[in-house]
Amino acid sequence: MFRLAAIRLLAAVPVLMVVSLVSFGLTLLVPGDMAAEMAGPSATAADLARIRGELGLDRPPLVRMASWYSGLLHGDLGRSVLLNQGVTEAILERLPVTLSLTCLALGLACLAGIPAGLVAAAKARRWPDQAAMGAALVGLSLPDFWLGLVLIWVLGVKLNLMPTGGYVALSADAVGWLRSITLPAGALALTQLGPIARMTRSAALEVADSDFIRTARAKGLTEPRVYARHVLSGALVPILTVVGIGFGLSLGGALVIEQVFSLPGVGRLVIGAVLRRDWPVIQGGLLLTALVFVMVNLIVDLLYLWVDPRLRSNA
Amino acid sequence: MLRRRTFNAGLLASAALPMPAIAQGLQGKRGGDVIIAQQAQPPTLDAQTTTAQASRNITLHVYETLFTRDEASNPKPDLAEGVDIAADGLTYRFTLRTGVKFHNGKTMTSADVKASMERYGRIGGSAYAMKPVAAIETPDAKTVVMKLSSVSPGFIEAISSPRAPFAIMPEEECAKPLGQPAMIGTGPFRFVEFRPDSHAKLARFDDYVPNTNYQKRDGFAGRKTAFFDTVTFRFMPEGGARTAGLQTGELQVLEALDVAAAKRLKDDKNVRTYEMMPWAFQTLMMNTNWGPTANVDIRRAIQAALDLEEIMAICSDGLYRMDPAWQYPGTNYFPGIDGLDAYIKQDQAKARALLQKAGYKGEELEVVTDNAFRNHLDTGTVAAQQLRAVGMNVKLSVMDWPTVLNRRTRPDGWNLWPLGMGIEPYEGPYNVVGFFSGAQPVQIKADPVIEEAQKRLTTDLSLQGRIDAVKQFQARVYDQAISVKVGDIGIVQATRANVVNYAPYRIPRMWDCWFA
Repeated sequence: MFRLAAIRLLAAVPVLMVVSLVSFGLTLLVPGDMAAEMAGPSATAADLARIRGELGLDRPPLVRMASWYSGLLHGDLGRSVLLNQGVTEAILERLPVTLSLTCLALGLACLAGIPAGLVAAAKARRWPDQAAMGAALVGLSLPDFWLGLVLIWVLGVKLNLMPTGGYVALSADAVGWLRSITLPAGALALTQLGPIARMTRSAALEVADSDFIRTARAKGLTEPRVYARHVLSGALVPILTVVGIGFGLSLGGALVIEQVFSLPGVGRLVIGAVLRRDWPVIQGGLLLTALVFVMVNLIVDLLYLWVDPRLRSNA
Repeated sequence: MLRRRTFNAGLLASAALPMPAIAQGLQGKRGGDVIIAQQAQPPTLDAQTTTAQASRNITLHVYETLFTRDEASNPKPDLAEGVDIAADGLTYRFTLRTGVKFHNGKTMTSADVKASMERYGRIGGSAYAMKPVAAIETPDAKTVVMKLSSVSPGFIEAISSPRAPFAIMPEEECAKPLGQPAMIGTGPFRFVEFRPDSHAKLARFDDYVPNTNYQKRDGFAGRKTAFFDTVTFRFMPEGGARTAGLQTGELQVLEALDVAAAKRLKDDKNVRTYEMMPWAFQTLMMNTNWGPTANVDIRRAIQAALDLEEIMAICSDGLYRMDPAWQYPGTNYFPGIDGLDAYIKQDQAKARALLQKAGYKGEELEVVTDNAFRNHLDTGTVAAQQLRAVGMNVKLSVMDWPTVLNRRTRPDGWNLWPLGMGIEPYEGPYNVVGFFSGAQPVQIKADPVIEEAQKRLTTDLSLQGRIDAVKQFQARVYDQAISVKVGDIGIVQATRANVVNYAPYRIPRMWDCWFA
């Protein structure tokens, strides 16, 4: 298992190199820079040149690239002039927001999606199956930003049960944190619930015909117990796969949800950086996102080994 | 040598010492934490260096300037008692208000003003305004003398503009590079924290020394009294979420409320809405250097093809007024609208005739616009459709804001560029006429008549001469169809009903208002 982890981590290095090279290439290809954002629409070329000089944006690309990689080797992702903050610091400051949003959303999606999938499998082709799968399809089809706005309108404005936006840090106020994160996580969860429920149903149906399930039934176990204990454990590998993919998709969805709910997360940081052409932040954000994807894939691979002992012999 | 004393609001100045704000100023209820929502986050809080509205909203609560603008956008002293301008227009002697404190406890002196103005000349957002300044002298702690190398009748207007404010900061902060100075000013609120993507927080500066030359707030000038304990600016990109926050009371002030939402909330007893008209010029800039728009007849055809009112009605959600002048009515430099009728009425037959005269053969006309500002996108979209209706081959290119800014500075690759000019017309004529002249005019190809008008505007010591220069500029823009002034656009600011004595302005001013 450790060998697998070490190999996968080593394999991540070229992936991260490619990501950093591509993100740096984008800085050369995409028009516009942060000087234009600072100077405004009526800026002259002289104004822009002056600001570029102040910010060091007038240095040749290769010099900037060498400087950035040299910093990276020392663990320094550079500095954002617009934020007046180190990029590493800026990302780490926002990471808890995005991770708590994504993890809570995925947790909620699993809590609702897996039981819904199991119920659908147990009652296949009957009304609970059709109701669960219909609801999953609706969740899958609705755009997350629209869901977010509807939740704000209903639970925030009409019922006044939840705040309409903003973020309270967990360290500052646990209840406030839960109130601030529940609505955005709920919106994000609804979009992930569908794939998880559908995959659970299909994997459970496949396992439900297995000999060991028949044996479990023959031993006199109740249907709920058969599904919760035996069918679920047999179906976990494909479910883990879809949850792992869902984590990545949730990270993407968090970009939108953070905008809608005004959450100061990594997604909003990166979107803001793209719109302002704050390249050190864009590069740092992309590198971090790639790293998170690699780590999530690694964790999913390790979880496969944990839930299915048969795979350990191949590891 | 010193001939006249101008811009001096010091009617009471000789007698008055700074008094506690509450004792003599406005009587309101002190306390409370007010939360304002704004769409954008500031690109920087280095006030001198940015022209972003998102930054001004915050920095103008923290920093003050020698001169600023009153309610009617005329220059008024703020940190200065007044200024003596020499007869030759080359020496400006500013007398500073005494006892003004920075947020770090230090008393402001002429050395701080000199260092701040010199920094502005190096990296300020409107650094060109400091170009005529050859030297800044500080004969004593409360006097600053600026010596100009050439006359600049718009100098006080320029340094009083809030566009990229000529913020006065402690001398020791002025040596720091762009974006690095600690946010220390003399304003009624002091900086507490800035959390990018979340909020900026200010707190009332209890040692604030109000300008006792005034009785109440007056634009950015006047006697400012802070009542709220703290002011938090939340950065909320989603308009629906901002409106929802105002309705639930989580937010107390909105920098701007969608016009449609304002109509919906007009009967809500918990919300007050305030229309600001005018807020900006809606324009359609043309590139006179490249492609079809290099031909004056094609530009005139474009002018004739457009139904300006239809564009305004759509791009402003109905909050607009038709106003062809390139300065606002009622301001000092208003050039009038005589003779403009012929240019502003849609006449498709005339447009087709002009296209024929120009030998137009269906060459592509590229409209570049951004998706960040709805008025830009809608103006571009509607104008493109109206131009297609007279037979023009129009390509509408929608990009993000930095890309459009980059594209429009290029001498080719674009023909039309919709732009809302907000702060420039508020400032007066200098940055409006200046936008079309100088080293890089917005229309790319310099126009000799506009250059001459700009020269007159910046050198003529008589007000009438400068007004004539604006008239000359306006007549030329219409005659040569250099740009289309579509109309004036308004905005709606909003507060909860318990915010008392709020008055809308260029930024949501959090002084002189309080919670009921």
